Amino acid sequence: MSKVTYVEHDGTATEIDLQDGWTLMQGATMNGIDGIEGECGGSCSCATCHCYVEEDKLDLLPPMGEIEDEMLECVVSERRPNSRLSCQIKMSPALDGIVVELPEAQS
Amino acid sequence: MFQFNPYSPAVDADPFPFYKRLRDDYPAFWSTEANMWVLSRHADILTALNDWETYSSASGNLMDEFPGRAGATLGTTDPPRHDRLRALIQKAVTKRALDHIVEPTRAVTNAHLDAIAGEESFDFVTDVSSKITVDLMVYLFNLPKDGQDIMRDKAVLMVQSDPTTRSKGPEHMAAYKWMTEYAANLIAERKKAPGEDLMSQFITAEIDGEKLDDREVQMTVTTLIMAGIESLSGFLTMFALNLADHPEARRQLVANPELIPDAMEESLRFNTSAQRFKRCLKKDVELHGETLKAGDFVCLAYGAGNRDERRFEDPDIYNIARKPRGHLGFGGGVHACLGTAIARLATKIIFEEFLKRVPEYSRVQEQLPWMPSTTFRSPTRLDLRIG
Repeated sequence: MSKVTYVEHDGTATEIDLQDGWTLMQGATMNGIDGIEGECGGSCSCATCHCYVEEDKLDLLPPMGEIEDEMLECVVSERRPNSRLSCQIKMSPALDGIVVELPEAQS
Repeated sequence: MFQFNPYSPAVDADPFPFYKRLRDDYPAFWSTEANMWVLSRHADILTALNDWETYSSASGNLMDEFPGRAGATLGTTDPPRHDRLRALIQKAVTKRALDHIVEPTRAVTNAHLDAIAGEESFDFVTDVSSKITVDLMVYLFNLPKDGQDIMRDKAVLMVQSDPTTRSKGPEHMAAYKWMTEYAANLIAERKKAPGEDLMSQFITAEIDGEKLDDREVQMTVTTLIMAGIESLSGFLTMFALNLADHPEARRQLVANPELIPDAMEESLRFNTSAQRFKRCLKKDVELHGETLKAGDFVCLAYGAGNRDERRFEDPDIYNIARKPRGHLGFGGGVHACLGTAIARLATKIIFEEFLKRVPEYSRVQEQLPWMPSTTFRSPTRLDLRIG
């Protein structure tokens, strides 16, 4: 178990314990975080689990794949340098305490 | 000796007492009748859905699989290939791509509701849910107007199994064959003149030079027609049934249609139409004192997980204010239902119109006839009295 904090667009912050190996998208949808939709269930094909990752954790994430990069071109809210799809981020002890901000809209 | 036989008509009619025994006493249960393990607790099912490397779909996902289908549909392919194929299709069915279905859905709903206006009673399955879903599929896939009734009959037969032989019977196999040929003919026609419909999008979609091959398009279209017609109409029927059995909830929706989405989610939890799917183990798993061996099939009983008191408080109570986050009504993980956004949007529109025009109704039958199916659950007829 490691901790992740989701900060919704209105500033509401929710911290949850997430099993290592599970994705930040799964953690959000299982815990009623409205700012993540995850329509495709985590197969990196819908771009509705967009999040902004805090800068100092970015380098700890697995590198972005080509499909994720393409999908991020389709997000509804602004794509920023720290944009990632949360279904592609698996929790691990190294990411304990990670904070992600959620965009205004996913779809 | 406790048994869980998903072919039994008793399970078709009321699986919930069986599910409770499974969850409480046999959370990892070997069903000799189904020849597979059964997982019934929400947490175990969710773990399996999120671990496709252990719980593989590549050997089939329907409880009774059709020959030649495994490996050729999204639901029967594992990542990474699954994810590439799903990306080809997903963009046509995400929420933001579906505005175009709103008005056609509203129009066909009202057309079929016109046909029952003035009646004292009607069969929700024949007169409403089947007709609307067939029209919606015709619209989405731009299907020919001829032969729609046959297509619906075949789709419904496809999802059934024979309770005595515990397998697909000849009529079910014939229906499957009919549907694959129907799909193949449509695809051949559509290739000559692709349009804007979903099928044309599948045929022409391409990512990184990868396309769906002919058999994948054929099996995908076959599956989507089956799922679109049977699981959507089955769910609409279950929702109508829940609102017949819970008139207070229905009256709240009539007074405030904005509550329809919340009620729909509760019905997806309470009476999901997809009760059970399966996976195949790629490695041994130790669970609740049992050893599930590599190569064994495992049934994920979504309908049982959705009534798990370990996850949902008072799970046998239908409560439209519950907002049941994480229910398994659309499965979950990378194979979560592709048609989720279509189903949610269509159901919302259909019930907005239905409850506007038929705000008060009640059940005619005490006992309902249930479809014989190991995978899906819905009544084959639901007579409702208006007023």
